[in-house]
Amino acid sequence: MNDKPVACVRIADDLLAAAIGEASPQAGRRVERHLTACGSCRREFEEYHALDQTVVALREEVLPKAEVSEARDRLETRLADLRQRLLAYRVFPSPLGHILIAQSELGITAIEYLERGTSLKASRLNDEPNVELVEGGDKLEAAYRDLLEYLTGRRRRFEWPLDLRLARSAFQRSILQATAAIPYGAVVSYAGLAQEVGRASAARAVAQALRWNPLPIVIPCHRVIGVSGALTGYAGNKLGLKQRLLSVEGVPTTRAAGALGIQSDAMYVLYPGDREYCLPTCPSLDRREPVPLTRFASREHAEAVGFAPCTACRPDLHPISR
Amino acid sequence: MLQGVMSQGAFDAVVSTHHAEILRYLRRAIGAAGDAEDLSQETFVRAYRAYESLPKDANVRAWLFAIATNLTKNHFRSEARRRRAYGEVQATMRETTGGAPEAEVVSRETGALVDGIIQTLPLKQRLAFMQRKLHGMEYEAIGYSLGCSAESARAHVFQALRKIRHGLDGYGRLPGSQGDE
Repeated sequence: MNDKPVACVRIADDLLAAAIGEASPQAGRRVERHLTACGSCRREFEEYHALDQTVVALREEVLPKAEVSEARDRLETRLADLRQRLLAYRVFPSPLGHILIAQSELGITAIEYLERGTSLKASRLNDEPNVELVEGGDKLEAAYRDLLEYLTGRRRRFEWPLDLRLARSAFQRSILQATAAIPYGAVVSYAGLAQEVGRASAARAVAQALRWNPLPIVIPCHRVIGVSGALTGYAGNKLGLKQRLLSVEGVPTTRAAGALGIQSDAMYVLYPGDREYCLPTCPSLDRREPVPLTRFASREHAEAVGFAPCTACRPDLHPISR
Repeated sequence: MLQGVMSQGAFDAVVSTHHAEILRYLRRAIGAAGDAEDLSQETFVRAYRAYESLPKDANVRAWLFAIATNLTKNHFRSEARRRRAYGEVQATMRETTGGAPEAEVVSRETGALVDGIIQTLPLKQRLAFMQRKLHGMEYEAIGYSLGCSAESARAHVFQALRKIRHGLDGYGRLPGSQGDE
């Protein structure tokens, strides 16, 4: 190459570009002019052009169909397996501290208050078998916005598909599902929930099942309290958090004898199976078998989920004044 | 409200659109030195893991090529492997070029020869050349996958073409010169 005339060396790149059809119009014209005068460059041009044609033929090459489809099948199998394990997560700041939200292909799978940090490292999900975590995208942000709206009292429902894969057992899953059905602004007791799932004597097991709730807030275990009205446990030892979530929903709480509890006498009540809600002092309640009741923070909360005021005690005419 | 949870269907479409091409790319990128199917699986597994956080306007094809290219570079990082691949290619080339070529098979054999020379190119040149000439990628995307500028990517491709031409010259097989002289 060194013994080439300067003009040929200068045009070498353009020549190659022109031979493979990548030269700009100006460069193309320059090359054309040069080639009319230079036989050795013309040969070089033709060689590159022919080489390019040979390469184009390689481009048309396809792998055997069977081979591709078998490889594809094996890939699909591997992806299906991965799908089973994969959770996309993100960590967001919130008024309650950093919160991790994770979702599978089926739905939101975990919400976690991060206590020991602000990243995935602080998450208990690291200890979950059969879970692989990857950083998630915009959709988790939508969930986060919904959560923030809830925390600031601007949202009552989460319309997310939920994935309960992290439930430890079928029993826990049934408890989580029953808990998910407790309306906004209402509380039930562990005993009431036990009755709800047909295990009236299993209040303790219910409380145990709710100690590990993979989806706090969305599965509102904060709406489940002791039969005495005491708030009892929440997310380990975060009773204050439970009180805060309840107060977002308008549930009145009080501290009596050092223990946080709801103000039962300031809440409307619902007898299991009834369509009408009552004042806590309704005489009809005295005549019925005493069972755990659902309590509502306000008439509006009860009516929002379709309950009507009792025609005996008339909570509509004698609302509770706080 | 959440719309469809993970982009399940969308990723299925990614696989069906690009799997065959990525496999073909890796087949040539890896040559006889390894299992291209393995790397293509790995490409899509990695892509699936990262898909949720991929910007919506990303060029998915260029992104997949970049993942595959990275895996290829890692694959060859072990110098021993690289040398083994090289040795095998040299052996194949000797076989390919042995015996007198019949006129009607010249062009096909030239293709095989070009293919053989491609395998002996330095990795970056080879990958740039393949992406450009065998897959029609833009220089911008090639640069992205190789971690260099579009200009360097183009320089790699040109360098590869020069070497292939010289390589063919060495075998007296420059297609453009046949019959002319």
